[in-house]
Amino acid sequence: MDLNICISGAAGDGVKEAGELCGRIFADLGYNVFIYQEYQSIIRGGHNASVVRISDKKIHSHRKYYELLICLEDYIYRMHSPYLRGDVIFDSKFSCEGIGIPMTEIVKEEHEPMIFRNAASIGALSAYFGIDFDTVEVMFRERFGEKAEDDIVIAGSAYEYYMKNYSPKMEIKRNGPGKKLVSGAVAVSEGMVNAGLEYYYAYPMTPASPVLHYLVRRKGVVAYQPESEISAISMTVGSAIAGKRSATGTSGGGFALMCESIGMAGIAEIPVLIIEAQRSGPSTGMATYSGQEDLEFVLHPSHGEFPLVVASPYSIEDGFRMAGELLNLAWKYQTPAILLTDKHLVESIETASIDENSVKKQDIAIIDRSEEIVKRYRITESGVSDYAVPPAIVKINSNEHDEFGLTTDDAEIRKKMHEKRMKKDKLIEREVSDSAYHLFFRGQECIVTWGSTFGAVYEVAEELGYRVAVIRYMRPFIPPKLRKAVVVESNYTGQLAKMLREKADIEVESILKWDGRPFTPEELRERLG
Amino acid sequence: MLKKIEWCPGCGNFGILKAFNTTVEKLSNSGIDRGRIVVVAGIGCHGKLPDYVELPSFHTIHGRVLPALTGIKLANPDLFPVGFSGDGDAMNEGLEHLLHSAKRNTDVTLFMHNNGVFGLTTGQFTATTPKGVRTRTTPYGNPEEPLNPSLIALVSGATFVARAFAGDMKQLSEIMFEAVMHKGFSFVEILQPCVSFNNTWDYYRKNVKKIKTPENFSDAVRISIDTLNTGIIYRTERETFEEAMMRTK
Ligand SMILES: Cc1ncc(C[n+]2csc(CCOP(=O)(O)OP(=O)(O)O)c2C)c(N)n1
Ligand code: SF4
Ligand SMILES: [Mg+2]
Repeated sequence: MDLNICISGAAGDGVKEAGELCGRIFADLGYNVFIYQEYQSIIRGGHNASVVRISDKKIHSHRKYYELLICLEDYIYRMHSPYLRGDVIFDSKFSCEGIGIPMTEIVKEEHEPMIFRNAASIGALSAYFGIDFDTVEVMFRERFGEKAEDDIVIAGSAYEYYMKNYSPKMEIKRNGPGKKLVSGAVAVSEGMVNAGLEYYYAYPMTPASPVLHYLVRRKGVVAYQPESEISAISMTVGSAIAGKRSATGTSGGGFALMCESIGMAGIAEIPVLIIEAQRSGPSTGMATYSGQEDLEFVLHPSHGEFPLVVASPYSIEDGFRMAGELLNLAWKYQTPAILLTDKHLVESIETASIDENSVKKQDIAIIDRSEEIVKRYRITESGVSDYAVPPAIVKINSNEHDEFGLTTDDAEIRKKMHEKRMKKDKLIEREVSDSAYHLFFRGQECIVTWGSTFGAVYEVAEELGYRVAVIRYMRPFIPPKLRKAVVVESNYTGQLAKMLREKADIEVESILKWDGRPFTPEELRERLG
Repeated sequence: MLKKIEWCPGCGNFGILKAFNTTVEKLSNSGIDRGRIVVVAGIGCHGKLPDYVELPSFHTIHGRVLPALTGIKLANPDLFPVGFSGDGDAMNEGLEHLLHSAKRNTDVTLFMHNNGVFGLTTGQFTATTPKGVRTRTTPYGNPEEPLNPSLIALVSGATFVARAFAGDMKQLSEIMFEAVMHKGFSFVEILQPCVSFNNTWDYYRKNVKKIKTPENFSDAVRISIDTLNTGIIYRTERETFEEAMMRTK
């Protein structure tokens, strides 16, 4: 089974929520679900869509064409009809060919605000698929607890109306034990928490904000919104200096503001994790749309030379794993790490199988007592010195410094200290060499991709007989050994392709897209064919 | 072990360092170990201070002392984070951090060396340089009116505001001690002569006045407006940022 349902309406219609609720029903029934949220930077009006893909196979992407469209506004119907390959269920407050349900009337009868039409659409959709109403009820109760009653009544009325006037088009049966839905934002957050995150500072910026929204409610983590991204990263550094694992997150614009501090963390050898969730740029760009345009920028975010880790997760499950991996790496090697992700990964929701045990906090030795000044920056063979925090007398310095952290411009000390720091790059490279990229399938030809674009690639590659290499680590960059590759990514200039060509001498052919919308399998099939 | 001091002979910073060392002594005698006093300094002549004290320290980048102090305090409320900023470092680059730190009443202390000039970069005007003054970047006179740091801290919600003079070590170290001990955000503006680019020794020696801490906020505002008034200008108590945040953990 493979279904693609689009729920669409104006901003303020509760479309995002409806998509999630629809996904929950199918996840509860044991199906694999992927939910893509498309919305505009508008609070009311405009156009929002939630595309819910359901399959009995593992999926990491939505599709372009829908088997069912749920539509709450007529002007929105016109926007979506080109992608419709099946039925439409609509609010019969407007006229349209298809399955009309008097959603507005049902909601009015119950004296509820119009946003409850989303519950009506869930009722109608469940009837369409012949899903037992009990399943719907249980889902609402699990989601809203005591507040679920109003939703259940409205969904029930729409369900009954459907059953009276139409007949179910399918009979969806349970497909195994229920599955859990996880968003990219939650996966990344929990990955950090598993690796010991205690403090998170972030200034709101789409699409990174869902991480902040989640963590401010997460017990065990102090999450705070300061006055700017510069403040956010400075606080992150401060908390790390005091010995606590901390992180910050933003999108391209906010990341630009953090740049000076990233180099500071580099020379001062302070572990910080920065999440950069890309959107369509440059500048304000398209705030609520996805892209992969920041790779080159993020690889070199600050002046001077310092060890830095940059990596990008390719799925929601990988987001969990990588967030933990990077926080552990940052601490082990006392240097900044950047988790480069994108709107499509952070804001999408999937029945991801998160393996809690795949991420554990790797403790490092921390000196927290001393009689005199600690040699915080002791020159060691490996380049890694002992981490120390107050109340030990430890001197952290953004200026070049000696082993005690005292400022210096001595040529010999500078030479040694800079070399000591830079040596850590080699250790990091050795440590991540096995997880630098992941390989899938067999095939003569290879597709190379990164980030959320993997979802669509994964799906068509097998069918078209390609091998897939998905790059996880961009710094250190350890490319797969290939002669030729088709490189798929969401930008105009082919940033990963350029790296593969220049650093690995791979003959590349690029498939690119920069319209803010993630690749769909259909689109990719056409472009590869 | 510590670095040799690099300030110009006669610089007001010597007085500030000496007063701070006295304060650290006093804090130690009150049971606060040196390791718990964490110094954060910005970039400028003032910013060299961490190299001259045997305390935990963080010499951060220009203008970002306050959020670093906040991150440290929130992560370990047992510490006493103490910041040193210049007028450039607190009133030019990163001014927003002062307003927000005062507003959130984070339990840290900021000592601001106000020498009316960018010292380290050799004498350009700052946000506290008086109107008309010729500096390296205002050869025809500063076209702008100056900011009043103490007044800004006060109206932004700082719960401890003081002004002191680098030439009066007794008063300065007393204020420093009170500031560090104060629960909540403490801001101390220190009038600091810069012998190389803005030598105000004679002017301050002749003109600074000592005030008694006023009873209420409006008197404090009035007193802070006269930039030659020194002493504890305002002191009050309210819930700190750390207390409020820890309730959510
Ligand atoms: C981002 C940034 N911009 C500019 C500088 C150059 N800079 C170094 S110190 C300084 C001004 C310092 O003035 P102030 O804070 O008043 O310190 P003072 O030297 O007077 O003690 C400037 C602009 C810098 N280090 N970083
Ligand atoms: S330049 Fe001015 S502030 Fe800097 S050390 Fe010399 S006298 Fe002091
Ligand atoms: Mg100055």
